[in-house]
This record gives sequence, C-alpha cells and structure tokens, in this order.
Amino acid sequence: MAARDITPTRSVLLDLKRRIKLSQSGHKILKMKRDGLILEFFEIMEKARQMRAGVTSDFQLAMKKITIAKAVDGELNVLSAAYALKTYPVVNLSSKSIMGMMVPKVEAENVRRGFLNKGYGIIETSAYIEDAGAAFEKLLETLIRAAEVETTMKKLLDEIEKTKRRVNALEFKIIPEFQEAERFVKFRLEEMSREETTRLKHLKGKGESTE
Amino acid sequence: MFKRSGTGNYAYMSARVKAKTSKLLKEEDYNKMLMMSVPEISHYISEAGYSKEMNDLGTRHAGIDLLEYATYMNMSKQFRSILESANGELKTMIAAYLTKWDFENLKVVLRGKNYGLTPDMIREDLVIAGSLKEDDIERIISAPSIEDALAIFKSKTGLSVSDEAIHLYKEENVLTRIEDELSIGYYKSVLDSITGKDRATNIFRTYIKYVIDLKNIETIMKFKMENVDGSLAADFFIPGGAQLTDKIFAQANAAPTIEAAFNELQSLKVFEELKTMLSQTPNISLLILTMERFRLKMAIQVSHTYPLSVLPVVVYMIMKEDEVKKIRTIAHGINSGLDRDTIKNLLVI
Repeated sequence: MAARDITPTRSVLLDLKRRIKLSQSGHKILKMKRDGLILEFFEIMEKARQMRAGVTSDFQLAMKKITIAKAVDGELNVLSAAYALKTYPVVNLSSKSIMGMMVPKVEAENVRRGFLNKGYGIIETSAYIEDAGAAFEKLLETLIRAAEVETTMKKLLDEIEKTKRRVNALEFKIIPEFQEAERFVKFRLEEMSREETTRLKHLKGKGESTE
Repeated sequence: MFKRSGTGNYAYMSARVKAKTSKLLKEEDYNKMLMMSVPEISHYISEAGYSKEMNDLGTRHAGIDLLEYATYMNMSKQFRSILESANGELKTMIAAYLTKWDFENLKVVLRGKNYGLTPDMIREDLVIAGSLKEDDIERIISAPSIEDALAIFKSKTGLSVSDEAIHLYKEENVLTRIEDELSIGYYKSVLDSITGKDRATNIFRTYIKYVIDLKNIETIMKFKMENVDGSLAADFFIPGGAQLTDKIFAQANAAPTIEAAFNELQSLKVFEELKTMLSQTPNISLLILTMERFRLKMAIQVSHTYPLSVLPVVVYMIMKEDEVKKIRTIAHGINSGLDRDTIKNLLVI
C-alpha cells in the first residue's frame, strides 16, 4: 500500500490508527503463538527422537526374531502361521487441537492379539514364531504412536513457519506501511490545515484592504 | 485306517535305511557350511545328495527359496520311498508317524483357504512327505469349505475334530481349536498304531510318549512366556505322555514364572536330563533347544539297539528331518546376516 495513494482525510487517519492498533495487537498475539508453538515443538521433537529410537530398536528386534523363526521353522511355516489370522488391526484417526492447530490423533485396535486368539494352534506352532509375532505386534504399536508424533511434529513445523511469516509480515511490512501512511496523512492534514489558515489570513487581509 | 497286516519286512527296511543313514550329513559338514555363503551351501548340498531336486527346482526358484524347497522335496521323496517299501505293521507305524506331515499340510490348506489364497499358492507351500497321496491332498485343497476339507482328511487319516471346534471356527474365524484338536488326535493315533508288544516296539512307544511329554512342557512354557492364566491350558494337554500327567501339567501351569514352572517338573525323568543339559536359568528358547537336543539324543541312543525293528526306520526319519532343518537354519542365518555363534546355538548338534 503506497502512502501516496491514500486520500488524506481525518476519517482515513482514524481508520489507519485503528488498523495499526489492531495489527500491533495481532502481531503481539502471533509472536506469543509462535513462541508457544516453538516450545511445543521442542517437546514433541524430544518425544519423536525417543520414538524413532524405539522404532529402530523394535524393528531390529522384530527382524532378528523373524530371522530366527525363519531359520528354525522355515519360511513356509512362518508364512503359513501368518495366513492363520484373517483379522487386521483397525487404525482410528481423529484430531486434537494444539494452540488452535488441528493435529492428528492416531489410535489402533486389535494390534495385540491374545495368545489364544492368534488363529493358529497353540500346541504345534513354534515358540519362535510366537515370539516373532509378538515382536512385530510391539513394532506396529510403536509405529502407530510414532506416526502420530511425527505428523504432529511436521504440522507444528509448518504452523511455526506460517506464523513466523505472518509475524514478519506484520512487523516489517504491514505495520511500517500503516505507520508510513499515518505519518503521510497526518502531514497532509497538517499541511492542509496550514494552507487553510494561510488562505483565511489572506482572505481576511484582502477584505480589510477593500474596506 | 492303521490296521496291522502282517509283521513287516524289517530286515529289508533296516538295510535300506542303514544305507540312507550313512549318506546323512555329519557334524563336520555343518561346521563347514557355517563358513560358506548361500550359493556355496547350495553347491555343497547338491554334491551331498540333493542335486536332482536342486536341478528340478532351479528353474522356478533361486537362492534361499531354492534351498528350502529342494531340501523339503528331497525329504518328501525319501519318506515316501520308505513308506512305499515297507509292509505289514511296520508300514502301519511309519504311516502313523508320517501323518504329522499330512497334518502339517492340512494346516497349510486350512490357513490358506481361511485367508483366501488360491489353490496354486496353497500347493506351493505343501511338503508332500506324509502318508496321504497327492490325489487326496488335491481333493482337500479343492474342497469347497473347511468342514469338507476336514471331512476328507478324517476319511483318509481317521483324525477328526469336534463339532464344538468347527462351531468355534465359524463363530470366531480362528483355527486354533481345530489345529489343537488335530495335534492331540495325531499323538493318540500314533500311540494307537504301535500295537506290538516286543521290546523294540515298546522303545518306540516310550519314545513317542517322551515326545508327548516334551510337547506338553513346551505348551506350559508358552503359557508362562505369554503370562496367560494357566488354568486355560488344560484344553491343550496331550494325554498319553510318559510321566507328565494332567495333574503335574496343571501344577506347572499354576506356577508364576518359567523357572518355577520348570521346577514343578522335578518328579519327571526328563527334568534331570534337561537340567543337566541346561547350562543356565531356563528361558523358553533355550529350553526348547535343549528339549530338541534331548529328543534327538534319545532317538540316536535307541537307533542301534534293535536293528530289526521299527526303530532304525523312525530314527532315520527323525535324523533326516533334523538334517533338513539344520541346512535351512544355517542358510537362513547366513542369508540374514546372523552371526555364526547365534546360528550354531540354534543348531541341535
């Protein structure tokens, strides 16, 4: 908004004053939001770091167990045991709000099947397969929790970036432009007021000389 | 199904399995294989009697899959040739023992059908090493429902499941009860098939009874590992064991930990054997490996005692299964990057 394009009237000045006040309070709130989001982000980042470590260790453990199960019982037996269960875990997606920002909430059902509900026989199915199955159930649980934390972290990052851009725009562009416009309108109004006074004085002098 | 029909060709079968046993891989072969890569292992076993199967399957499979399918195929051929050569009560006992492979195949078919696999995919995972003919297995695969498949299996092997198990399957869509009833039925049918009263047959019967005890111990340990209420384990008890009664089974299941459950088995003869073999506090993997070693040790101990009996034949089949398992364990272990000590610990040598 170029200051020169503004009509220098008293009502415009009042409007500009109101807008500057609004922008300044918006800027203050957004700055607080940005700081809050950053604090939240550091908390989530620590959680995500732990989650990633958890996913890595659970994955390594599960892979080791499935390797041992495949080695001891054979690929065919492991595959056959996997086919025994027809039901799948159900992942429920909902959302929760962090400082007005919606982040996903991921919950899962049926990830851990009871020992007696794995679908295969208890007597003949090897303990190695059972052990590998349990390790993968744990990995899946960790992955689901990690998915929630990682998505929240990414959304927080986007939101921080967006808020930062808004704060900067208000601080370095919008508010200075309004202030510039305000200064211009004030200057013009004063100028006009001075012109008016001069004109009145001039008219008064002219009238007196005519008399 | 398993009726006695004459005494059996013990002398002929004994000579045959003696020749086959001499071709089995030795401990030094496994030690050599531990130092090889998967292709080297494939080459090594090709020269040790698996060449036909490796060549036959070489166009369809590769790497670790080829090795697994070829070893299973070789084992199937050996078992079927033994079954076809035997006659009389010897054949009855071998057929009953091999029913475990029919049961394994039935499990693959039931799980595959339940999951919605195509017949071709199911066929791929079968190990035709049991007493059922390929036509019978084909009929089971093409049965329209699981009940029909079970009915065909019953008509061929005599192994059946209760209506309650089928009802439970229909209600909850899980095969657990069906599979466990078939397992219990399998051990009963093997014991029923061993009708001879001679010393050698008695040793075979005792061996099967000890195997049942070991299976029951494994079930106890699985319940302990999963922290499941021990009172629920009663349905999974296999009767007919040597010393492990339902009372001891219940007591061990009521124990709070794996170690306490193991100590509940003190009155059993196998306890002392297992305790001696266990170098540290029992955990389930170690215990299962120890039990497997004990089972093999038992089989090897009796293998030379009565040459003209069912023992050398059954011991050969046990050792052949063990050979296939060891090759697979080494190859899978190496393929997955397990360190050699871990692989060696998994081997029952």
